[in-house]
Amino acid sequence: MLILLAILFPICSGIALWYYHKRTGKKGHGLYTAAILITDALALLAILFAGPVTLFTFSPRVTFSFELDVIGKWFLVIAVIVYTCILFYSFVYMKIQERESSFLAFYFVSLGAMIGVCCASNMVTIYFAFELTTFSTVPLVLHDQTKEAVAAGLKFLFYSIGGALLGLFGVFFLYTYAGNEVSFVPGGVLDMTRTAGHEPVLYLAIFLAIIGYGTKAGMFPMHGWLPTAHPIAPAPASALLSGIITKSGVLVIIRFIYFSIGPGFIRGSWTQYAWLALALITVLMGSMMAFQEEIFKKRLAYSSISQISYVMFGLALLSQGGLEGGLLQVMQHAPSKACLFMCAGAFIYRYGIHDVKGLRGIGKKMPIVLWCLTIAAMSLVGIPPMGGFISKWDLVLASLSSDMGVVSVLGPVVLLISALLTAGYLFPIMIDGFFPGDHVSDELAAQPDPKMETGSSEAVPRMMWIPLIFLCAVSLFIGLFGNRLLALFGGIV
Amino acid sequence: MTTFLSEQLFIGGLHFTADGFRIVYGLIAVWMWALTTLFSFEYFRHERAHLKRYWFFTAATFIATEGVMFSADLMTSFVFFEILSLTSFVWVIHEETPEAVRAAKTYFFIAVIGGLILFMGLALMANTAGTLYYSELHEAIANSGQPKTVFAAGICILFGFGAKAGMFPLHIWLPKSHPVAPSPASALLSGILTKVGIFGILMTALPGFLGDGTFGLIVLLLGTITMALGALIALFSVNLKRTLACSSMSQIGFILVGIGTAVLVSALSGSGEESGALASEAMELAHSGLVLHMVNHSLIKLTLFMAAGVFVMRLHMINLNDIRGFGRGKPLLMIPFLLGALGISGVPCFNGYISKTLLHEGLVLAREAFAEGGAVSTASLLHGIEWIFLISGGCTFAYMLKLFICIFIEKHPQKQAEYDAATPCMNRLSAETLLTSSLLMPLLGLPAISGRLAALMTGDDVFHHFHAFAFANLKGGMMSLLIGMLVYLVIIRRFLIVQGRYVNRWPAKLDLEDLIYRPLLLKVLPKAGGALARFVDGLPGYARIIMPAAHFISRFMALLPDGIMIFSRRTFLHERKRQSEEIAPGQLRTIREREKQAAIPVVINFSFAIMMMCLGILIIFGVILLLSL
Repeated sequence: MLILLAILFPICSGIALWYYHKRTGKKGHGLYTAAILITDALALLAILFAGPVTLFTFSPRVTFSFELDVIGKWFLVIAVIVYTCILFYSFVYMKIQERESSFLAFYFVSLGAMIGVCCASNMVTIYFAFELTTFSTVPLVLHDQTKEAVAAGLKFLFYSIGGALLGLFGVFFLYTYAGNEVSFVPGGVLDMTRTAGHEPVLYLAIFLAIIGYGTKAGMFPMHGWLPTAHPIAPAPASALLSGIITKSGVLVIIRFIYFSIGPGFIRGSWTQYAWLALALITVLMGSMMAFQEEIFKKRLAYSSISQISYVMFGLALLSQGGLEGGLLQVMQHAPSKACLFMCAGAFIYRYGIHDVKGLRGIGKKMPIVLWCLTIAAMSLVGIPPMGGFISKWDLVLASLSSDMGVVSVLGPVVLLISALLTAGYLFPIMIDGFFPGDHVSDELAAQPDPKMETGSSEAVPRMMWIPLIFLCAVSLFIGLFGNRLLALFGGIV
Repeated sequence: MTTFLSEQLFIGGLHFTADGFRIVYGLIAVWMWALTTLFSFEYFRHERAHLKRYWFFTAATFIATEGVMFSADLMTSFVFFEILSLTSFVWVIHEETPEAVRAAKTYFFIAVIGGLILFMGLALMANTAGTLYYSELHEAIANSGQPKTVFAAGICILFGFGAKAGMFPLHIWLPKSHPVAPSPASALLSGILTKVGIFGILMTALPGFLGDGTFGLIVLLLGTITMALGALIALFSVNLKRTLACSSMSQIGFILVGIGTAVLVSALSGSGEESGALASEAMELAHSGLVLHMVNHSLIKLTLFMAAGVFVMRLHMINLNDIRGFGRGKPLLMIPFLLGALGISGVPCFNGYISKTLLHEGLVLAREAFAEGGAVSTASLLHGIEWIFLISGGCTFAYMLKLFICIFIEKHPQKQAEYDAATPCMNRLSAETLLTSSLLMPLLGLPAISGRLAALMTGDDVFHHFHAFAFANLKGGMMSLLIGMLVYLVIIRRFLIVQGRYVNRWPAKLDLEDLIYRPLLLKVLPKAGGALARFVDGLPGYARIIMPAAHFISRFMALLPDGIMIFSRRTFLHERKRQSEEIAPGQLRTIREREKQAAIPVVINFSFAIMMMCLGILIIFGVILLLSL
């Protein structure tokens, strides 16, 4: 029951608060704060005490049920942390946007949907929750309701639905060839007597499902929605999409491959190699595009494409090490990238700067924000002691120790080239921001010193940078202790 | 004596250990930070901007340096190495002038690239050898069973650490970033941060790759190039700090030559009696020589860069033509500079002489060992390297002579009176600091002290059979100095001084960074890679074709019955053509439009339907018939 409560509470409270604020015309954040804290508490309780729960049964094989295992808990923790941080940030940010309460309503609904994705215990349930995340985040993308925003929102919607349908194809095949019980079991539930002789069509179906669920994770060839949706959406929504919603795709793929199909089934098949190839192509392509992009949020969107495909690469290795590396990458990318998008949002909020060139000298106005940007960037590049370092280390080691000939060396090389490009597109912002010399950008040159205006050396309110610091701390924590946490995941592969 | 910080952290915890070498270097780091700090008080008196930032990152770099110096495994070294790269970057960019920013970016990205290569090396090493402990490396490498991969790992580690050491071809940041950093920071960058890189190479190569002749040869060749190239650029340079920076690069080359010799010759130590004995002796000499040279270079560069700091502090200029003659009549500045210059040039009785002679003897013995063992080509290669070694040593003497004569002997054509009046040129604290730092040169020039130090650092005492002032050794040193004198008189005085001004005849275009790296990384890569990435990025966009295609197909399907109908009417239903107009065959659309307007008689459609039904029944019967057969 705790799980159901944790899922339904944010959904209901989001809608209720929207209605309440609409009726009374009040503008306060107290109730939202209370709602998110209660959700956090419920999620924590669910992690600690919840048992399996079945909501209803369509047929003996198709049920609607929830259960939290260690993977689900891992994703749930990171989702809740990032959601909470972004919420506090968006209290400030949404001052420059209209219709705050409707934004927050969908925000809470998507939180509930995300918790549902984390807790689902079979493919049907997770598919429902997965679709709900799509439908509840589309309004966040088109929140501005300008022509471009609506177009971007629709693009996101079409990509997601198209991808989910491809994924659904895989679910049908799963149910055709699985044993009697179809829930998540490490190692998969395929019935080998049924699959015998049908491998080619199953490989194809699995491959299509990977591409389909990979849409959310921004994997080539279905990555197109990210660079369109991110720059248009309000910064908290971009942070959310990139930080958490993309991870829902990752989680569904883990559930599908590792817990339903079973990694052993596709190990060594063309599906695995095609998946690896797609992941590596995406890694390179994303970071290369980001390297050339001048609009900061678009650069970050391409960066997300590349970074999440690190996870995909790890998963595609189909080994324990690869899975662990991927999970660590999820855990470090979510806070780091959310932090970066929130930094980008802070620049937009205060000075309206969208372009990277406009950020020369920003370090004199927003030192703390730029420090957070630097730390998050360090994590993405993989510089110790940040989280990105150990995730990359695990991925590279997993790849090297895998037995796949040229791929096992090519993978690390691609990851490292991508890391170099990541340094190339993130660190110059920091260098120019902190050390502008005499060339402060035109946008900033005319701005007064924040000390004169607000009395603090930071040009944005406290509520905006405290979440950033918290997210950086999470990434640092992962860097320091992440490898210990991996002991949790023994025996999945 | 390994200690863990915590096994919970990172990947199996941070590991530290302390042996003779590490303790000596840890103390040298303390010494260097202490003296530069004392010197900084006056240096920064007039430039107070960003001082807080400077001190913070100086302290952070100190901690990271000690972290590397006491690390017991490659992973710990790597962690602190990366931290150190980022924190020391702030020194380079401190002044925020355009040159400083450019140099700092170069420094930063070389550090990132080096870090990534190192990362790859570590991963390969951990994967094949299974350990990253320096102490277990040798055995693990020998037993790995994958010699090629381990070798690749070694090369990656070499280049990764080499990037920080200033090894060719990743040396490009060195001559650019040292001159723009504040002088106390330059002293640290040059004196100790390059040694951090050397530390990594040394700990990996000795004893990890002992016995791997190819690895040794690669280190030796890269070291030789670094040594010669650094000396050559230093010879041409007309900027005081740049000369010193290039000199650092050259001295790093000497150290690498020592490492290379030791590893190369160790391949022989198991073989025949005569050559084996020679080889192990050569190895010990090279090892002692290189650690002593590391120490000496750190201490010398500390003095020299602080002395250069006096010019920056007083004149804000470091071009030789501007500061010419400033040192006249300033013994407090001259004595430290002179001691440093004598030390680095390898003049007997000063510290550089001993370490260079050891390195040289190591090379000579290695050549003899190879000649004894019958490897003639290696022996002749070593002979060539020995000459390059002597010439580079000579160049060291030549450029230090050039600096000394320019600053302390020659007169400035216009401002000499002004310069003579600028005394004292520094306050008492700075002068004492400078003097203290320089007094170590003659002290370490005593073989007794150097010998003890080397024994402490390497564990084997070579000085019982090595006599620093034996004739054969003095001959090598003297030859080098003679070459240096000739170079100064012939090349510098003839070609590099034009009408009384020092000129840099080094072609400005001949710069690896501007010639290759920057265009490659900033132009070619984004252009080629970017075009490719854009193509790949746009590839799914071609899926747009699906929509028109689907539209076309569904249209076609929709029109198909109509088409059949019209076709049948015109064939076996015998539609009578209207005489007034001709219908070209195949104009489906026109016909269809007309049919619509002309209100097709129901009968025709009806008969068509009946016909189709009959057709269907016939087909069904046919199928049944076929099946029943």
